[in-house]
Amino acid sequence: MSGRVVLVTNNPRYLSNVTSIDFIDGSSWDVLVKVRDMVHGGCKLLSHPLYGNLRPYQQPFRSAILSLKSDNDYSRVDEYSLTLIEHALSVYRSCLDRLLLRGVLPPATEEDYAFMDMELMKQTLLQYDIFSEKGV
Amino acid sequence: MKLELHKVKVSKLAWGDKTAVRDGVLFVNKEELVSMLSEDERLAKVDVELAMPGESVRILPVKDVIEPRCKIEGKGGIFPGMVSDVETVGEGKTLVLEGAAVVTTGKIVRFQEGIIDMSGPGADYCPYSQTNNVVLLLDPVVDLEKHDHEAACRLAGLKTAAYLAECCRDCEPDRVDVYETLSFRESMHAYPDLPKVAYLYMLQSQGLLHDTWVYGVDAKKSLPTLISPTEVMDGAIVSGNCVSACDKNNTYVHLNNPIINSMYEHHGKDFNFVGCIITNENVTLADKKRSSSYSIKLASMMGLDGLLISEEGFGNPDADLIMNCWKAERAGMKTTLLTDEYAGQDGASQSLADSCPEGDACVTAGNANEVITLPPMEKVLGYPDEANIIAGGWDGSLASDGTITVELQAIIGSTCELGFTKLGAYTI
Repeated sequence: MSGRVVLVTNNPRYLSNVTSIDFIDGSSWDVLVKVRDMVHGGCKLLSHPLYGNLRPYQQPFRSAILSLKSDNDYSRVDEYSLTLIEHALSVYRSCLDRLLLRGVLPPATEEDYAFMDMELMKQTLLQYDIFSEKGV
Repeated sequence: MKLELHKVKVSKLAWGDKTAVRDGVLFVNKEELVSMLSEDERLAKVDVELAMPGESVRILPVKDVIEPRCKIEGKGGIFPGMVSDVETVGEGKTLVLEGAAVVTTGKIVRFQEGIIDMSGPGADYCPYSQTNNVVLLLDPVVDLEKHDHEAACRLAGLKTAAYLAECCRDCEPDRVDVYETLSFRESMHAYPDLPKVAYLYMLQSQGLLHDTWVYGVDAKKSLPTLISPTEVMDGAIVSGNCVSACDKNNTYVHLNNPIINSMYEHHGKDFNFVGCIITNENVTLADKKRSSSYSIKLASMMGLDGLLISEEGFGNPDADLIMNCWKAERAGMKTTLLTDEYAGQDGASQSLADSCPEGDACVTAGNANEVITLPPMEKVLGYPDEANIIAGGWDGSLASDGTITVELQAIIGSTCELGFTKLGAYTI
């Protein structure tokens, strides 16, 4: 691993537990677009963007962990990261008209989606040492 | 390793004073079973119901399905690391209550998974519409932490499966199936004219409700390793996942893995089945690279000619499937992949989230986005209002008369990537 690691997410639940975060106040699609732009800027994906076995119209949250540098060279795009994020965007694009947005579900249900989103990212966050159970 | 499965046929369930099988009927002492399960302090309320094929019964949300089994001879106990000690299993004799199943149901998070319809059009898509189901309804104590809740449901199912079989351990079997795997020293020379083929068995391992346990070890925290197929039949692999329901390998399916059974059938005729490698499907990309490279290293050390690879789930694990495929092919092994598809409700979208040119032999269990209408049932075991927030459903999925309109994704086992399904296509 080289460089700093950041979590890009639209899930506010992380704000109190993750030490390096880029919070997107928007949809899951907005998160993936931001990640794609970052990959084009030389960042490298450290987590799979389609984690969790729920479709885009079933889970309002999306998160991705990226290394801010790609082999210390911003001029090079990591092709595998680009392939993964483009495939993820393609999956989301196929059902963009049914995208589940934040604030639509009953609060308690949405809270459980936020909880599950964090559960599925936790292992990667811990591996890259940007997660604190006690809070930040 | 040699294992005998002593199968006692169960064609009906009934309540009884003593848990036992008589003339194909599994009698269940409800009071004794509820009392045993209630010992778990994490459960506030336990109830048990029976559901049989053809009945107008719907079960949801289902967490896991388990076949009742127990060891009657040989090392270790059933479901090692869970309800038995961690001793290695896969040898000796194991009693199976064939035709019976334990189904666990309960609400762990507010969005839900897993429908079983015992009759009607949904039954055609669900393998557990054909089993005689002992259904556990499990309510946790207030504010139970979700990981503890999941563990309590998982253990209740496994304990019940072991209990039912244990009560019948002296029954005469209706059939005995024998499975044997030779040591590598013998198997490598057993059929010199046949290709050496192994099974790469991918296990879901992303996190809560997406986990699998091997001898009690969380699969996401383990490197790929070798396992004997007969260990799997003794419950070495246990499901801790049910999201999404259609393509998660329930514990029942691990115990009865059709790929393993089929590979045994072809062994010595079409190829030399030399063993299984288990691997995981973590979210971290570095883990994917490590596990796929390590799996193919093991396959190369075995000198394989071919590898059959099964996936569990979709999206994230598609990347693992594809890495396993091209790494094996480039190492000189032929591969065949087993998966399902998420091709949209019209079937027009891309089926998998990843692909590679080497993946030119692929078997599919169907399109999980296919929409199905499930008519109302006379009786619902579990929580019927949860259909609106079931994965595969949407707000409005549940009509006022009890009709549910969902994608196949919501029906447990409907597109099982091990091929444990009721519907299929045949070349004519």
